[in-house]
Amino acid sequence: MDRQLSDVILSVEHVSKAFPGVKALDDVSLQVGRGVVHGIVGENGAGKSTLMKILSGVYTKDAGTVVFDGQTIEKTTPMESLRRGLSIIYQEFSLISSMTVGENIFLGRFREAGGMRGTHQKAKELLEQIGSSIHTGSYVSELSTSEKQMVEIAKALSFQSKLIIMDEPSSSLTEEELAKLGDIIRQMRSGGISILYISHKLDEIFEYCDVVTIMRDGHVIDTRPVRELDRREMVGMMVGRTIENEYPERPHFVGEPLMKVEHLTTNKLKDISFTLNRGEILGFVGLVGAGRTEIVRAIYGADKVKRKEIQIEGEAVKIMSSRDGKKCGIAFVPEDRKQQGLVLPFSVESNISMANLKKLKKGMFLSPDKERKMAEEKISELLIKTPSPASVIVNLSGGNQQKCIIGRWLETEPKILIMDEPTRGIDVGAKYEIYMLMKKAVEAGSSIILISSELPEVLNMSNRVLTIADGRITGEFDPEKVSAQEIMNRAIG
Amino acid sequence: MDAKTRIGYFVKNNLVLVTIMILAAVTALIEPKFLTVANLGNLMNQFGPLSFVALGMTLAIIGGFIDLSVAGIVSLSAVFTISMIDVLGQGGALIAGLAAGVAMGLLNAFIVVSCGALTQAKALFITYGLSAVYSAAALLYTDGATQHMSHLASRTDLFKAVGSGRAGFIPASFLLFIIIMALLHVFLTRTQTGREICLTGANITAADLCGIPVKRRITLVFVLSGVLSAFGAIVLFSRITTASPLLGANYETNAILAVVVGGTSLAGGRGSVVRTMLGVMLVILLSNCLNLLGVSTYLQSVCKGAVLIIAIWLDRRRVK
Repeated sequence: MDRQLSDVILSVEHVSKAFPGVKALDDVSLQVGRGVVHGIVGENGAGKSTLMKILSGVYTKDAGTVVFDGQTIEKTTPMESLRRGLSIIYQEFSLISSMTVGENIFLGRFREAGGMRGTHQKAKELLEQIGSSIHTGSYVSELSTSEKQMVEIAKALSFQSKLIIMDEPSSSLTEEELAKLGDIIRQMRSGGISILYISHKLDEIFEYCDVVTIMRDGHVIDTRPVRELDRREMVGMMVGRTIENEYPERPHFVGEPLMKVEHLTTNKLKDISFTLNRGEILGFVGLVGAGRTEIVRAIYGADKVKRKEIQIEGEAVKIMSSRDGKKCGIAFVPEDRKQQGLVLPFSVESNISMANLKKLKKGMFLSPDKERKMAEEKISELLIKTPSPASVIVNLSGGNQQKCIIGRWLETEPKILIMDEPTRGIDVGAKYEIYMLMKKAVEAGSSIILISSELPEVLNMSNRVLTIADGRITGEFDPEKVSAQEIMNRAIG
Repeated sequence: MDAKTRIGYFVKNNLVLVTIMILAAVTALIEPKFLTVANLGNLMNQFGPLSFVALGMTLAIIGGFIDLSVAGIVSLSAVFTISMIDVLGQGGALIAGLAAGVAMGLLNAFIVVSCGALTQAKALFITYGLSAVYSAAALLYTDGATQHMSHLASRTDLFKAVGSGRAGFIPASFLLFIIIMALLHVFLTRTQTGREICLTGANITAADLCGIPVKRRITLVFVLSGVLSAFGAIVLFSRITTASPLLGANYETNAILAVVVGGTSLAGGRGSVVRTMLGVMLVILLSNCLNLLGVSTYLQSVCKGAVLIIAIWLDRRRVK
């Protein structure tokens, strides 16, 4: 502990950052020691990425101080951070695929590196230093994910970095590549370089990190040496929230099986089979990228699949497109409201009617009266706040926009309602109203598949929960009987 | 709201109409003959070929695409139709010409959809390439020779009626334009298919997830653009009684100009064929006015380009 205080490379004190409607970071403090591998864990939305972006200069902090290598950092830019010796390796690499490895490592610094010859010579030395034999003249587009990561690390080393932040570095690596990454991390640590290792995967935290900081909802919960913690404790700190009256009473209308999905296989999903019962809310728990969205999109017909067998009410159905999915009585509330759900420049009423145009027909034509009536019904039923049905939907709040999308689908009287992140970016009050709508829908005989990155939401709303990791279903739980820790453990895989 | 702000609103919401009125007033001042019935008929006559191509382009742009192949379609369907008059008779040739437009539209759509080029930019390049193909096909088909209606053995009075016939002082082509425009307006605003085209153009992902058959709607849009371009070609060669295999050159630019100036959004989904009529009117008046002022053709192109850029800028502002 003494060593850390005397030899701190990065010190973050009382940093806060708010976005409209969300406090992404609230009074966050942490210290990273020199030559220490420091892990940061937390659920989606805990504030890890925001913190990282403040450190690199992508965002500006609202309050607090950041001291890096003895210097107080006020405003910074990504390039300045690099020059100071702070490198970030993002999950999505920032390499230019049409340029060579050497050019990428010394991008914008060819002269400093001594022209093209110097660039390639130095790049080669850096890569050899981390035990990589990638040819510096290869184009980045030809490299594997792991090789790209090596190039990013070499690039960080080329700046004489004192601190390297790695965001989910293992997300697309194979076991073998992961082992190699471990070697490199240990090698850098012994060379006195500090590493901030951000990951969902607890195994890696235990294997590589000396110290770990646990974040949740924009707060730092605790910072402890890894050896003092066990997995159970860590997961407990990641998810442990106390919530009162944020959710309505769990509905209980579960009946006979409604939909059977068997052998659902795509490039990402591996032989998914499960059953959805009538009147049930079935929750999918998993990390972002585990395959939750892929499963529901494949069922609905929005994506191509290698294999799937679906039975609805005992009858085999062929769903080849979204259109087929809708015809089979499935409704789909997509995760990205603005890109996939709304037609932003259009009115509230045409956004509600767009899945129900057939109902508006009067002879050959669409009836504006019927459209107005349909919209007015949904507005009063779902308590949508809008100046008028003819108002442009882009001006509504996120919660009201989401209610319009849900209303659009309730109007189709779906048997199965798929809701992917239905409350993302919505304030607490509107969230509760959306939960009530879900409850009403199952009361009316629909079944719901609920995907959410907010664990408490899934656990409080679902009758049954499936955990999904790496394209597979890894477990089935009754959220009333099993603790959040156990479920999260299984979802982390 | 006082009178001043009310006028401000009117100008802002009806910019095209106001510009047309100003242009008309300027032209009338320079050339008093401008306001005679005969000249009004002439102006309507000028609506001619471009207005049909622009109607097709309006549908394409509302559907989320820009169809650059119209130049090639105009050239190829014109020379093809003329060559068919002696083979099929004039009625048959008219149908064959329109069918050629349908076929080229289908080919556009087939390639765009099967390449998965469902963004405006990707489809832009595909239709640009196909325009070159259609133009080259027109050259190959005619060996580069201009086709003359006067060299034909068969009767051509149907085409002459379409190209330069008049009902009173109103040109037949203008009447046809008004009828087709009215039908398309009802189609876009009052039918399910029309609404689905608008939704697809505004957000293809959301439309697809709502079960709208987006690929079929895209196909329809390209087919309509193709057939309207072919019809524009027929009006054009009927009027000038000849068809060069390069007849359609630059038609895409002028059509896009008319559509965008009219106020149809390049972002897709929002617009109307009625606005396009105003756009065509503005383009015609502009060249009319510039001609009267004795501005050279080269400078006129500069003016058209400037007007297009201003229209796009205004469209961007409206989106924000």
